[in-house]
Amino acid sequence: MTLKNILKFKFPAILLSVSLIVAIFLLFFSVSVSYRQYKAVIETEKWVVHSHKVTIELQNLISILKDAETGQRGYLLTRDTAFLQPYNGSFDKALTVFINLKKLTINNTTQKQNLDTLQYLIDKRLKILANVLLQNMDDTLLQQNIKTLLVNGKIKMDDIRLKTSQMEVIEAKLLQKREANYQKEITTSPLSYLVTSIISLIIFICAYYKIYKDIRHLKQANNQLLINKRLFEHSEHLSNICNWCWNLEANHLTFSNNIHHMLRCTQKDFEQTVDGFIKFVHPDDKHIITDGAKNVLSEFETSTVYYRVIRKDGELCYFTSSSKLIKDNYNKQIRIGVITDITQQHNNNKILEEKLFDLERSNKELSAFNHVASHDLREPLRKIQTFISRLKENEFESLTDTGKDYFLRTQAAANRMQLLITDLLAFSRANKADRAFELTDLNILLENSQQELSQIIEQKEAKIIANKLPIMYVIPFQIQQLFTNLLSNALKYGKENEPIMIKIIVDYNCDKNAVKQKYTTDNKFCKISISDNGIGFEQEQAEAIFTLFNRLHSDKEYSGTGIGLTICKKIVENHKGFITAEGFPNIGGTFNIYLPA
Amino acid sequence: MNTEALHILLADDDDDDRLFFKDAINELKVKTKVTLVNDGAQLMDYLNNVEVKVPNVIFLDLNMPIKGGMQCLNEIRSNSKFNEISIAIYSTSASDEDIEETFVKGANIYIKKPNEFAELKRVLSSVISLNWQYYTSGLNKQNFMFSI
Repeated sequence: MTLKNILKFKFPAILLSVSLIVAIFLLFFSVSVSYRQYKAVIETEKWVVHSHKVTIELQNLISILKDAETGQRGYLLTRDTAFLQPYNGSFDKALTVFINLKKLTINNTTQKQNLDTLQYLIDKRLKILANVLLQNMDDTLLQQNIKTLLVNGKIKMDDIRLKTSQMEVIEAKLLQKREANYQKEITTSPLSYLVTSIISLIIFICAYYKIYKDIRHLKQANNQLLINKRLFEHSEHLSNICNWCWNLEANHLTFSNNIHHMLRCTQKDFEQTVDGFIKFVHPDDKHIITDGAKNVLSEFETSTVYYRVIRKDGELCYFTSSSKLIKDNYNKQIRIGVITDITQQHNNNKILEEKLFDLERSNKELSAFNHVASHDLREPLRKIQTFISRLKENEFESLTDTGKDYFLRTQAAANRMQLLITDLLAFSRANKADRAFELTDLNILLENSQQELSQIIEQKEAKIIANKLPIMYVIPFQIQQLFTNLLSNALKYGKENEPIMIKIIVDYNCDKNAVKQKYTTDNKFCKISISDNGIGFEQEQAEAIFTLFNRLHSDKEYSGTGIGLTICKKIVENHKGFITAEGFPNIGGTFNIYLPA
Repeated sequence: MNTEALHILLADDDDDDRLFFKDAINELKVKTKVTLVNDGAQLMDYLNNVEVKVPNVIFLDLNMPIKGGMQCLNEIRSNSKFNEISIAIYSTSASDEDIEETFVKGANIYIKKPNEFAELKRVLSSVISLNWQYYTSGLNKQNFMFSI
């Protein structure tokens, strides 16, 4: 992990607190350590001074005794009392120094014992000195006695020197030890202090860096939040919505700013409470809001209400509110909601409803027209045809040749009119909305169609070869009509000198892209192709032949109404499919039916 | 075959259709008695007349003023007195709804009025010569719509 990664690593808040506590602890530790060491240094110094003091006092003692000895010796030689001066004060001086020494060695048992021995020796030595002086003043004292006393004094003095030097050695050793200690304290204390300080400093720097980064993040987040807020306000304004937030415990309700725009009022006119909002609601709908506010919602449940409001400018508007219950980070229940101005939508709906009503009415008129065509037109036509047939049967022979010609033309016209009416009815039936899709075996429908056309098929000696057709959800009578129309089309436009051959080929899995049809959302189609070897047509006509009343041939050549293929197109479209035609003049034509698989 | 003359009744409001019907029946070499009524009301009056013997077959037009064929069919089939009567619907339209409805309501056969007189004669000839005893309602929907 690189340093960058470590810094990038997001500390959990708890880790930050822990590291800060550690840093503070280390700091306290280092301060206490340094304080303790400072105290130790002071102590060591005190002891060094003490050792020196003891040594000095001991030497002082020796020097007092020396002075006394020297003075005594001078007196003994010269008998001048002036030499006795240092000796005279030596008792008191020695006592003072001794008291000092006692004070200094009070805590050291060895030195105390040594000191006791020393006291005894010094006492003896001073007594010997006093004895010598007493003997000397007597004059009677023997030279030999003085000599013994002096030798004794020298021995005692040597003992004292030995003892003091012993004590000095002990003190020197102590001093050495304390100096070593002192050195150690001095060298270890700054290092440990430095280490802990540096560690805590690093922690502080890290913590600072972390806090700095957090603050920067916070600033960026705040900035983003501000942008989002502006965006939100903008989109609220554009889409005519506003939101509200109701803290149920504190009973504090706030609306977003767009409420003022939606109600066309100023901030002053609108009080941010339930009652303040209800003031704008249509009198008849006020209960919707009060009931809705009382309604206790469970979590995850959304409640939606519709009501009218009267804006500040007096305009009547249609609003809808959706609200739900949430819990915030402090586990407080908050009801949030969105108010939408659906006036535009409402008006559009109204227009649509009116249009729908018009459409339904015109549909009714259309079906009334269909009824007229099917019954009222067919009835007189049927009578005309019946009368014609009766006339033809009984009176035809009595007519002149011209009369016969006119008569036959009249009959042909009547027959054609009947054909047209039948086809038109079939077309309007194909348009009808009430169609039931049933799972149907298309083979049976094709067979039915062939049955229907059996007379013409036989008469024209046509041959029909068909693949096995699928079983699909279709409107059975319409698909049968589709087959009938396409087959009769093929039968009608056969070549005169060639037996008619109709082939029906099925492609169960035809890709939409293969036929480049953009008007459909389905991708997989079942393609049924019906090809014939008839007179065909120009490819430019492939689209036109599906248009109502569009015919490629005159009535004299081939009779027809120009409705049949339009019905086919309509039927395929009813099945959410499409139909195409491919024609080659004098070779034949193919009709491709694509039904969603 | 019935040795007694077959009593046929036609209820049709159209003058011409009644004429065609009468002519066609007359040209058939079958012993029949034909009664013509102009609408459903007249038909029901005729049938409810106690003194009259009910016809064997009624040819019933659906689209008639005052009382339509469908209503007559309802009334006839709800009266057990007329159980013996065979009813042939005789209509211009041959819409699926009409065929379905009349079949369900108990008509015996459905005839679409032909366009040619010769055909009319053929249709009437075959319908009259049907053995009605075996051609009772509800037995076979396939044969209900009459075709030659």
